[in-house]
Amino acid sequence: MTQTDGSPFAPHTDAETAAMLESIGVDTEADLFDIPAEVAFDGEFGIESRSEQEIRGELRRLFARNDDLTEFMGRGHYSHYVPSIVDHLSDRAEFLTSYTQYQPEITQGFLQALFEYQSMLVELTGLPVANCSMYDGATALAEAALLADRVRQTSGHRILVPEFLRDGKRSVLENYVDGAGLVVDAYPMDDGNVDREALVDLADEETAMIYAENPTVRGTIEEGLTEIGTIASDTEALFCLGSDLVALSLLQEPASVGADVVVGEADVLGLSTSYGMGLGIFATRDAFLRQVPGRLVGVGEDSDDRRAYTLTLQTREQHIRKERATSNICTNQAWVALRAAMHIASHGPDGLVDLAEDCVRDAAALADRVDRIAGYQAPVHDRHHFREFVVRSDQPADRVATALEAEGFAVHAIADHLLQICITETNAHATDELIAALQEAA
Amino acid sequence: MIYDQARYTEGDKHEPLLSEKDTTTVEVGGTDSPLPDDLTRDDLTLPGLSEPELARHYTRLSQMNWSIDSGPYPLGSCTMKYNPKFTEDVAADPNAAIHPDRSADSAQGNLGLLYGLQEYLAAIGGMDAVTLQPPAGAAGEFTGILVAKAYHDHHDNDRSEVIIPASAHGTNFATAAMAGYDVVELTADEDGRVDLEALKAAVSEETAALMLTNPNTVGLFERDIVEIAETVHDAGGLLYYDGANLNALLGRGRPGDMGFDIMHYNVHKTFATPHGGGGPGAGPVGVVDDLAAFLPSPRIEKTDDGEFERFEPDHTIGKVHGFSGNWLVLIKAYAYIARLGDDGLADASAKAVLNANYLADQLELAVPYGPFHHEFAATAGDRDAADVAKRMLDFGVHPPTTKWPEMVPEAMLTEPTEIESKRTLDRLAEAFNNAYSDTDEAIETAPSRTTASRIDQVSAARTPRLSWQALDDE
Amino acid sequence: MSFDVPDAFRYLESHEWTTTDDPARIGITDFAQDELGDVVFVELPAVGDEIEAGSAFGVVESIKAVSDLYAPISGEVTAVNEDLFDQPELVNDDPFGDGWMLEVEPSDDAFDDLLSAEAYREQIT
Repeated sequence: MTQTDGSPFAPHTDAETAAMLESIGVDTEADLFDIPAEVAFDGEFGIESRSEQEIRGELRRLFARNDDLTEFMGRGHYSHYVPSIVDHLSDRAEFLTSYTQYQPEITQGFLQALFEYQSMLVELTGLPVANCSMYDGATALAEAALLADRVRQTSGHRILVPEFLRDGKRSVLENYVDGAGLVVDAYPMDDGNVDREALVDLADEETAMIYAENPTVRGTIEEGLTEIGTIASDTEALFCLGSDLVALSLLQEPASVGADVVVGEADVLGLSTSYGMGLGIFATRDAFLRQVPGRLVGVGEDSDDRRAYTLTLQTREQHIRKERATSNICTNQAWVALRAAMHIASHGPDGLVDLAEDCVRDAAALADRVDRIAGYQAPVHDRHHFREFVVRSDQPADRVATALEAEGFAVHAIADHLLQICITETNAHATDELIAALQEAA
Repeated sequence: MIYDQARYTEGDKHEPLLSEKDTTTVEVGGTDSPLPDDLTRDDLTLPGLSEPELARHYTRLSQMNWSIDSGPYPLGSCTMKYNPKFTEDVAADPNAAIHPDRSADSAQGNLGLLYGLQEYLAAIGGMDAVTLQPPAGAAGEFTGILVAKAYHDHHDNDRSEVIIPASAHGTNFATAAMAGYDVVELTADEDGRVDLEALKAAVSEETAALMLTNPNTVGLFERDIVEIAETVHDAGGLLYYDGANLNALLGRGRPGDMGFDIMHYNVHKTFATPHGGGGPGAGPVGVVDDLAAFLPSPRIEKTDDGEFERFEPDHTIGKVHGFSGNWLVLIKAYAYIARLGDDGLADASAKAVLNANYLADQLELAVPYGPFHHEFAATAGDRDAADVAKRMLDFGVHPPTTKWPEMVPEAMLTEPTEIESKRTLDRLAEAFNNAYSDTDEAIETAPSRTTASRIDQVSAARTPRLSWQALDDE
Repeated sequence: MSFDVPDAFRYLESHEWTTTDDPARIGITDFAQDELGDVVFVELPAVGDEIEAGSAFGVVESIKAVSDLYAPISGEVTAVNEDLFDQPELVNDDPFGDGWMLEVEPSDDAFDDLLSAEAYREQIT
């Protein structure tokens, strides 16, 4: 270290600082600040500077305070193995330390990668327009509701969502749509899937959007998507479908069931478990192109007549349209989208379909094993499952979850006697031990 | 200095798309499928490439991309500072990679980090309580305005307007509108600052909040901040601090001491987490005591015996992100703040302001407003700022933000940050001056040394082609 | 720089023009298209919609700007220039001709309140 008391990332020597001050014509750095004395701060934050080595040690010790548990958790945040190539390539500083592509001529690389990401989403959803990221699945859903409000044909102000929706996702949705005067109502579920008869009764001209998930937050695979799409179009409401990149690789293509907007978790690829950090999918039909929130990368030509990529249709965005923008989003999840695209590419279509099929097979097999333990019934819902399923336990679910934690496992306790268990390739090796621990806790 | 960016040219394009290297269709469903065919898609068509091919593809794309590690990136209002490498290693700790639904007991490490960062940010901003949930600056603004709204509602005080200076970031306007408020735009006075008389005329019992960036978007400190705060507070409104320019103030001024009630922090600006080509960032929000009960849930507290707990604020607005925000970014921000400490943070701002002033002093372009702090808006005068910027690309520097804010004609909003040395600033000034004084033809046809030459934005917007499928359809 | 301002048309301060025929044609001026730069998108009402003098009836976009279009007169829209959806550049190339936007059946005799060519010319110089 060349200095100890300043920022280690400011390269100025004392001589350079002096020369610069002299060039400007002031005596000290303090002279450059135009802050009235009555609001100037001359106290201390009380933050002690530590060396790089000290901080690495400190945080290593801090994170070691997390219990070392094998997680069988999902419910909107999933663990899939991210190959090393994703880390190494996305961590290249040219990607990681670049900014939004306001000068496209010098940022073609990132723009092309985002264009490829958009294209992958177009393939997976069947919808022709995908943006290059929302923050997460919850905010993407909320943006879809706002889009529905802008384009709706009816007088409707109601957003219909599943009874089984993560509380957090619903809360985000409500916070986003409140300003537009929309209300959020739930429709009931029938054994884990959409209760379509009840939905028909609920959907009316007051409805601006119907949201369904496939798979649902309880892991069931929806069987009536086409019918839900028809219910939506019959009431002139938009049909918004929530999913994730792995599920989309296998399950019914959203466009084929009449989805107008697809949202959901793209972070299932590229990010793995990261305490809920996300990447929101947003794809829609051509008709709503000018109502899409967030950034879009398009193709143009440069002055040498070569193909070139650029952010486009920016008049939708806040920096131009201000209070009439389609969204306030500016900084997004571009680097996470880059990682997701790399992960998709590293799987290829065969690998993705295999991975998704394993999500179905492994969930069914594990549910079957759990069901054979006295004191548990699984799966609670008589449906096909993707990655996860609900278990009824004779013992209070909280007690089982706590007992499992003591044995080194984390599962969800979602109701008094309901557990939820999620399996992917990252925890599949530990199913024998999980079964033993469940037996113990029964 | 001359800069030639990498190019991999094949005919009428550069590096081919993944889909042009391979397109494979696999059938989905059939006898081996674990699902009945009516629940699956028919097929899936994507590139199927080997790892070596992908390594080359993405390495080539990276070489066709400018970054802060490539060279100066003085985008005004963006605070493109160096992202310390060790923060990446800290964030990659596998012990921190846990599920957000973990019990508090089993997640003490993560909760401890979040608690620590809440405390750091509160101290730096002079705020009483902080939420780390908003995943970006605009999300922080939205959270802050929702908190203001909940506060007013709680006091049966229905208000309909948010006041915003004309020169503010576009996100402020969009945020207020998303929260259901009418926007009242405030024009600046001749000095480029808030016009107190205009503000006094604008506030009323409808005023929910004034959103203010300080120093403002041309780097000027709002000297009348105490009176501004009084004016807004006397009308029953709240004062919101947009943290985009906090890098000018570290250790010299705290929004809380200036009368601000709510603020967001752009950790991807002030606290050096990487911008990642457009994100992820994080936009924590700090508030004064009176507003703490309205913050998103959960927040983190520390018990007397050193344990960390989640808790729900009494009148919480609920959630603004599905989980806990951009976790990996928050770790990096904590590590950066810890590395700098009190003295380092103050020095960062001192050098950021020094660098902006020194650079402006070397330019042939006029800077209409001052005294500025960490950034300044030079004017390209009778030249087109966007063209001057394109020419700068040929000299191995990224140009500043152009044509914004509009109060400066042909603005070039420049923020070198503290990380540039005098030598680099001299080189940046040279690029600036050379581009500015170059011929019309040179600036109108620039750049020529970047991967792409000047891109025709107009045809790209007139005929949107947003996927490789759209290219195939042609 | 001098801009085309046909004598026979009437104008709004916000740079829209109208003919005084029935139906009246409406568009934006040469000056307006030059200020905007290359037009990339035009959003217009549908045939049968009513527009109201002084109110916004549509939007015109360039790469970096969005402008509301204000109706010089009130009336029912009888025709929309659909060529602009595929060729928004017509607004730049021929603002008073092929770049027209709407035809409107004027519901009253509101042309009197509009600027004459002479008055509009004064405004933009």
